[in-house]
Amino acid sequence: MDTKKLISDAKARFAHNSAKVYLKEKYESKLIIAEQGGLWKADANTITILTALSNQFETTTVLIDTFDNPVEVDATALLETLTTTYKNVMTEWYAEWQELENKR
Amino acid sequence: MARTRKQEIGRGVVLFAFNSSKYNYVEMAEYCARRASSFLGLPTTLITDAKSAPKDTGVFDNIIEVVPDKNNIRENQVWINKGRYQAYELSPYEETLLIDVDYVINSDKLLKTFDFSDSFCCHNRTEFLMHPNVSQEYLSSYSYSSLWATVIMFKKSERAKQIFEALEMVQHNYDHYANIHSFIAGVYRNDYALTLALNIVNGHSTEPSDYIPWDLMHVGKNTSVYANQVDTQIPADGDYWDFNTEFTVMFDNWKNSKMRKEYITIKDMDFHIMNKDLFAGIMNG
Repeated sequence: MDTKKLISDAKARFAHNSAKVYLKEKYESKLIIAEQGGLWKADANTITILTALSNQFETTTVLIDTFDNPVEVDATALLETLTTTYKNVMTEWYAEWQELENKR
Repeated sequence: MARTRKQEIGRGVVLFAFNSSKYNYVEMAEYCARRASSFLGLPTTLITDAKSAPKDTGVFDNIIEVVPDKNNIRENQVWINKGRYQAYELSPYEETLLIDVDYVINSDKLLKTFDFSDSFCCHNRTEFLMHPNVSQEYLSSYSYSSLWATVIMFKKSERAKQIFEALEMVQHNYDHYANIHSFIAGVYRNDYALTLALNIVNGHSTEPSDYIPWDLMHVGKNTSVYANQVDTQIPADGDYWDFNTEFTVMFDNWKNSKMRKEYITIKDMDFHIMNKDLFAGIMNG
C-alpha cells in the first residue's frame, strides 16, 4: 500500500489535533512505572514532592501511589528513577511533536 | 491434544484462533505471535481447533487443540469466541498475556503489565484513534462500564483462577446475566462476560490494580488504518523480520453532511483493529 498516494488521492489533510491526542496517549502511558512496591507516574506533581522531601533529607517517606495505596519509599532513589523516566519520555515526546509540527 | 516444541515456564502469550468461513484467524495469530516474539521477547501458545490448526508449530511455541463451542452467531456467521475461560488451565506459563489476535503489537509496552499486579489486569478504558472523547461503553444504562478482554495479563494464582472460573460461570449463564443487566444476549461477548466475572470476584467493588493504567486504543468506525511499509522477512524464508511500526490512520470526518478525509501517522504504538478486513490489509501490505 502506497500511503502517500492514498493520502493524495483521498485529498486528506493532516489532523493536528488528533495527532496531539495520539501523542498524549502514547507518551503518558510511558510515564507510568512500577517501582518500590507502588505504581507511579513520572509527572510534575510526583517529582516536585519527591524533590521537596529530598531537600529536607527525608530519605524514607510515605507517598500515595496511582492505585491510592500508601507506600513507604526511598525518596531519593524514587526521585532519580522518575526524573530519568520523565526526561527520556519528554525528550521522545518533544521530538515526535517537532516532526508533527513540520507537517504544517 | 497439544503439540509442543519446547516446554516453557515463566512468561508467554496465549492466543485463541478458530478460522471461520470468512476470516483466517490463525493467520492473524501468526502475525500477532511474530510481533510478540520480536517486541516482547515472549513465546506464544496458540489455542485452536483441529480444523484450523497449522500443520507445523511454525512461529508458535505450543499449539493446543480444543473442541470449540460454535454456539455463537454474529452477522449470520458462526463466531467462535466462547471458551476464553480455558486460558487459565491451558496456559503453560506462570505469567500470561492473553491477547486478541487482532491486536497489533508495536512496542514493548505490554511487558509493564507484569509489574502492575500479582494476579490479574485488563483494560477498563478505551480511546478511539482520531475519534477522541467517545463515551466509554456500558453493558446497559443500568449496569457497569465495560471492561475489555482484548488484553489480559494474569499470573497463576488463586485469585486469577477464581476470575476465570467466574468467567466460565457467566458464559454458561449468559442469558440470565443479560436479563439482569439489561443487555442483548444474542451475541456472546467476552468483554461483557469479563466485566461481570471480575465484579463478582471483587464483591461488586473496584480494585484499581485490576486495570491497566492506560487506554486501549481502538481503530473504530469511519476509520481506516494502513501499514506504511510491509513487514519484511530476512532472508526471504528466514527467521528474522523487519517489522513496520508506522501506520497511517485515516478518518472520515462528517460535518454538515459533508465528509472530509483527515489522517495522522502513528508509530511504535499498540492498537486494536475491530474491522477484520482492515487487519487483513495490514498483514498483507
